[in-house]
Amino acid sequence: MKKENSEKREVALTALKKGETGTVSSIKAGPGKGRIFEKRLMDMGLTPGTKVSVVKSAPFHGPIEIRVRSSRLALGRGMAERIFVEKETE
Amino acid sequence: MNEKKLLIALAGNANVGKSVIFNYLTGLHQHIGNWPGKTVERAEGTLRFRGYTIDIVDLPGIYSLSTYSLEELVSRKYIAVERPDMVINVVDASVLERNLFFTLQLMELETPMVIALNQMDIAKGKGIQIDTVTLETVLGVPVMPTVAVKGIGIDKLLEKAIEAVEKGPVKKPPQVMYGEEVEKRVGVLVGKMKGVQLVYPPRYVAIKLLEGDEEIEQEIGRIAPEVVSVAEKLAGEIESLHGHGCSTVITSERYEAAGCIARAAQKLVPPIKPTSAERLHDLTTHKVTGYAILIFSLLAVFYSIFTFGDFTSGLLSGWLYGFEPFFTGVFGTGIVGTLVWGGIVEGLIAGITIVLPYIVPFYIILYFLENSGYLSRIAFLMDNVMHKMGLHGKAFIPMMLGFGCNVPACLGCRIMETRREKLLAAFVTTLVPCAACTVIILGLVGRFLGAQWALAIYLFDLVIIFALGRLAFKVVPGESTALIMEMHDYRWPHTETILKQTWFRVAEFIKIAFPLIIVGSFVLKLAEVSGVLENIAAVLSPVTVVWLGLPAITGVTLIFGVLRKELSLVMLGALLGTTNFALVLSPVQMVVFTLVAMLYIPCIATIAALIKDFGWKKSLFITVFEIAFAVLVGGIAFRLLTLLT
Repeated sequence: MKKENSEKREVALTALKKGETGTVSSIKAGPGKGRIFEKRLMDMGLTPGTKVSVVKSAPFHGPIEIRVRSSRLALGRGMAERIFVEKETE
Repeated sequence: MNEKKLLIALAGNANVGKSVIFNYLTGLHQHIGNWPGKTVERAEGTLRFRGYTIDIVDLPGIYSLSTYSLEELVSRKYIAVERPDMVINVVDASVLERNLFFTLQLMELETPMVIALNQMDIAKGKGIQIDTVTLETVLGVPVMPTVAVKGIGIDKLLEKAIEAVEKGPVKKPPQVMYGEEVEKRVGVLVGKMKGVQLVYPPRYVAIKLLEGDEEIEQEIGRIAPEVVSVAEKLAGEIESLHGHGCSTVITSERYEAAGCIARAAQKLVPPIKPTSAERLHDLTTHKVTGYAILIFSLLAVFYSIFTFGDFTSGLLSGWLYGFEPFFTGVFGTGIVGTLVWGGIVEGLIAGITIVLPYIVPFYIILYFLENSGYLSRIAFLMDNVMHKMGLHGKAFIPMMLGFGCNVPACLGCRIMETRREKLLAAFVTTLVPCAACTVIILGLVGRFLGAQWALAIYLFDLVIIFALGRLAFKVVPGESTALIMEMHDYRWPHTETILKQTWFRVAEFIKIAFPLIIVGSFVLKLAEVSGVLENIAAVLSPVTVVWLGLPAITGVTLIFGVLRKELSLVMLGALLGTTNFALVLSPVQMVVFTLVAMLYIPCIATIAALIKDFGWKKSLFITVFEIAFAVLVGGIAFRLLTLLT
């Protein structure tokens, strides 16, 4: 799971537009509580290397809807901002 | 021959149909309570089957067996310590990979289990075909396909479970094999733990130690501290090998294994057209139509509950009050008669006329929305607003319930993840004007001052809820949890399950609220008969008359409002001798009275619900705070409004 391709850009999940797909590279969470939150995301299937696509964003900086491991998740925006993905290039 | 007993636990993700299976199996032989000392619900039931008396425990719906939420901790402890004879793992066939991730963790706990492969119909609709034989072979666990909402496969499931128990623990089910780096270190740790008495299987402990599970670390640290430090060192090695935290590595590999099994067992033929469930999802989460549908549904729900409730409540109380001559005939019209009728029976009537007309339809609609999947869409749409109060979207659900009745709403705060959030949500919920408050707002301000004033009071209350919610979020220590929620596909809910869930909720409400309503009503009647009420009114007059500018008698009626809020208005009418309040109250007094009545105290049944989940101290604090706050707001409103008019 090391970075091989430096051309791929690492962006926050929230930077993906509706319909775009990326591969989870890391979750940037602080220590303490951040660990809990990281673990919860992992338990929901957002492990490094997993493909996620953004289905939609709720308005006014609301949560985003993503598809991961053929299920549909809602993620609070603050949380989604800390998930970094490698954007898939066309 | 003595009776054969079995203990079976149901475990699985949220919304996989666990409760449908539970209700199907146990019927009305259920008991719903809390796990000792926890704000986590525990549902238990019994059934007889093939000569066995089977106790069934429905574990909370969870995604993992880590200890990051109370639900997960409770479930893990239960399986490891209570050692049920069999765990039925309910798996959603339409989201196989995520569900198997949980299954694999159950297998690590080395618990005897069978799998109910549920929602086969939904999977089929999504073009997913699952080969149960393959699944059975790969997992080494019996698998039974089911469609719980139609009752398909459940009897067979139970047969399989009993068969598996009777066969006894044969060979260990195959375990998830992690990568070499991890496996080697798991082996080292297992070796280190030889001779150490453990509740959990050694391999499980080893994996959890590598994952840095705090609970297990503490437990093992007490008996074998050296193992914990070795584990920390080994975890560090894995981290430097992989470039990710050890817990991340293990979780990834476990998901990888789940994915492999899912891919081996299922064939995908995705339908070309999006299904109607898919289209409904898009509509109900859309930034325009989503909110429009949300507002419309909420209005429709409350309008229909109020209309139905009002009508039925009138009908019921008319009928119940018809018994008055009978009681006065038996007990006379003296003190005893007054106490029996006015204290006990009227208390009972008060209870009955809220429960049947308002609470029952309320729960039916609530469970319909929940089981169909709509509540999670509401949480999605409202997350942003709730976030401002340090809560996430799910907290909107108990708040919404609060408009009907605060009691189920407070109990509904159990859906929040952490204790802090449960408490914050409950606090905010007690400020929401319930149906009884609405009676006061509409019956006093709405009727005599006009609808715009009633609306203004509602809006003012929303502002207060928001402000106090924000304040509480800043004051109560701890961080807020963000929303992570699965939105499963829409489906038509199972009527019987809804009715059973409603039945048990109503029973719970009766158990919590009725004793207090009746005792409270009796005590008040006693105070009235003994003439203490006038004294109370006099004692309270510095607050009611001087500070709030209300007639002294409101001190008494507000006390009655503790039983049921609308009683404060009904009593006011009775004590002032007229229900044409325009004759006896000035417009400012009406507004002040309504504000105070709306905010001043959660009713006695709500306090009982708070105590049940949060204990005496916190409930008392919330109660005292809200009384003080209401008096403060009322006094300020009195002065401001007097200035303005």
